[in-house]
Amino acid sequence: MSNKIYDAIVIGTGAGGGMALHTLCQAGLTVCALNAGRRLHPKKDFRNHKQPYDMPFRGFGDPRKGKDYIGYMDNEYSEGIWEHEIAFTTAPGTEWTWRRCFAVGGKTNFWGRSSARFGDIDFKAASRDGYDVDWPIGYQEIAPYYSRIERLIGVASTVQNRAANPDGEYLPPMNFRCIDRILESGANKIGIPYLPDRIAQLTRSHNGRPACHYCGNCTEGCDTGSFFSTPWCLLPEAEKSGRLEIRTNALAKNILVASDGRASGVAYIDRATKQEVEIHARAVVVAASCVESARILLNSKSRHWPAGIANSSGQVGRNLCDHLYGTTARGYLPQLLGQPSFPDNVSSSTIAWLPRWQNLTNPREEKFIRGYSVYPDGGCAGFPGYFETIPGFGRGFKREIKRRYPASVSFYVQAPTQRSDENYVDIDPTVKDVYGIPAARIHFAWDKNTLLMWEHAKHACEQLIRASGGEYLGAGEIDTPGTSLHETGTLRMGDDPRKFVTDRFGRTHDVPNLYICDASVFPNCTDKTTTLSILAFSLRSAEHLLENFSRKAL
Amino acid sequence: MANQSPDRRAVLEMLAKVAAVSQFPGFSRWSFSDENEHSKAAGYRPQFFSAAEYELLEQLSELIIPRDETPGARDAGVAEFIDHIVAHDPAIQFQFRSGLGLVAAKDFMTLRLEKQEDTLRGIQLSSPAFFKLLRSYTVMGYYTTRIGLEALDYPGLRFYSASPECPHKDDPEHKHLPPPRSPNVQ
Repeated sequence: MSNKIYDAIVIGTGAGGGMALHTLCQAGLTVCALNAGRRLHPKKDFRNHKQPYDMPFRGFGDPRKGKDYIGYMDNEYSEGIWEHEIAFTTAPGTEWTWRRCFAVGGKTNFWGRSSARFGDIDFKAASRDGYDVDWPIGYQEIAPYYSRIERLIGVASTVQNRAANPDGEYLPPMNFRCIDRILESGANKIGIPYLPDRIAQLTRSHNGRPACHYCGNCTEGCDTGSFFSTPWCLLPEAEKSGRLEIRTNALAKNILVASDGRASGVAYIDRATKQEVEIHARAVVVAASCVESARILLNSKSRHWPAGIANSSGQVGRNLCDHLYGTTARGYLPQLLGQPSFPDNVSSSTIAWLPRWQNLTNPREEKFIRGYSVYPDGGCAGFPGYFETIPGFGRGFKREIKRRYPASVSFYVQAPTQRSDENYVDIDPTVKDVYGIPAARIHFAWDKNTLLMWEHAKHACEQLIRASGGEYLGAGEIDTPGTSLHETGTLRMGDDPRKFVTDRFGRTHDVPNLYICDASVFPNCTDKTTTLSILAFSLRSAEHLLENFSRKAL
Repeated sequence: MANQSPDRRAVLEMLAKVAAVSQFPGFSRWSFSDENEHSKAAGYRPQFFSAAEYELLEQLSELIIPRDETPGARDAGVAEFIDHIVAHDPAIQFQFRSGLGLVAAKDFMTLRLEKQEDTLRGIQLSSPAFFKLLRSYTVMGYYTTRIGLEALDYPGLRFYSASPECPHKDDPEHKHLPPPRSPNVQ
């Protein structure tokens, strides 16, 4: 085994790694994929059809493990899937709430499914407002890859003709519910867009995968594969090729380096035996997600690469960005008080969105640069969380909970941070994880620009509730950094090898057979979610690798 | 239905099978939350609270979510849920026990219903933190049972062949909906 040389090793099987290994296997390469956790079995591991009373702690989780649960996606329903074993540390003053899914397929097993394309407003943001740098490529160059991804995975939405949100190739959209119609009317009055989200969820059967059955518990995993995830959508074909070997519980430790400085393979820890194993390949693709990908590169020190492989720029780990999440407004729509309940929660809140409407024509119109998006939520959900806003007890309390049930609404914001020298990942000088691998250390704080977006979003959402005829009941708090799971940066792409780790194809400037296929190559964080773009850029990078492979340039 | 394609039927059959065979092992523990099963659980032995505390807890939860047109907290076994959670959560054991002690000191169980409600109103003012804790756990315990979810007419975890659509096409602002029918929700 140990002297076998694969064509490629792919570290990680989430969106980025999954797309890369799919592309490489389909083209005839032999691939060994390393995955830090185990495989999931939908019937056993996905509890999306469980009622709370089927769970020992009603879905709230065993309080003794309270600190281990993070909430959204990582909870009693997904017990045993999200992991907390592998240590990371935070610098003094940094708060970082981080749930990680090391299972095969990674976070795609449970993700929020919102899938908007980035546009030139994102790729050329620096040219518009003067801050930071543009991406090395523009929309025209990546658009065909978006189309191919959309055709492959299936994305439901509508053509919306907004320059800030390029339209793609869509399945029929999800239908608007009563709360959407009311909020849409309110949004129209105050000039805020309220539109069907772009959602990687099948509104009709597609490429052999069945249409959604609208049970509503998407973030507990899907047992019919009706939204995009690597295990349902990419792995079956890749495995059918006979050229894919997936090693599970294989925690990547460092990249192995040949005498000429190129990548020659990967050393990983077999978590079952705690033994270190080395495997070799002609090319290595790192797709372990931003923080872990940076950690692997920084921990790959050698005579050639004393500061970590592919780090001649000193930029590995730098420029960490994240999405600020938080509930910007809560309230209820009196029109719906006491009305019969309606199946509002058929898609875990991803039906409509309020795509960025700030700084579109004039990039400096607001007090902040760039912009944010908002997702609405509400209606008849699994738990009447709004009870806190109803005083008292007894018959009146119970009656008001029932009356309010179809009417409650809330909004949460997705606001990108901007790069700064203060937000980055390095290696903790003393702490190691249980396998002896030096831990990643996170340095992060919200920047002023993002906090201005938060204030703006709170005000806009309050106005929206009022314009919709609703009662406004206040705003929530900002979630701690890390909550969104939308880290970007750390291995940014750009043309200048002195300033960027990767080139426009996601290949490291320093090491020609080392590619990065996750959101760590993104030069900035946008108002949009990351997965669709990870898939598109990973596809493009993997095809670039193939091209070089066939030219024997690796 | 037009969009009930063969693969959709196959999916629904598959889902039905999954639902039938994959009961969580802990299910029987909570079967008392089903009204029909409740009598079987009459002999529930509290894990944390004393018999007297438990009796008090049952009555307090029923005051917070009483039986009206739909079953109340007692019917839904809310005290059992709270006992189970508190038994597993040392962080709230002291607060629960001392709060119940405050109520017990007022000879609560011997009072008439109206006096009990007055007493609970007094606790709400004098011990707002305990009241909030008690009320939160009662709501959590009630609306996570079949009884509680049915009381809300929870529409989830059903299967649909198309994404449900607002039926009020001509009334986007929903200004002209018929008034709620049940006197319970006037």
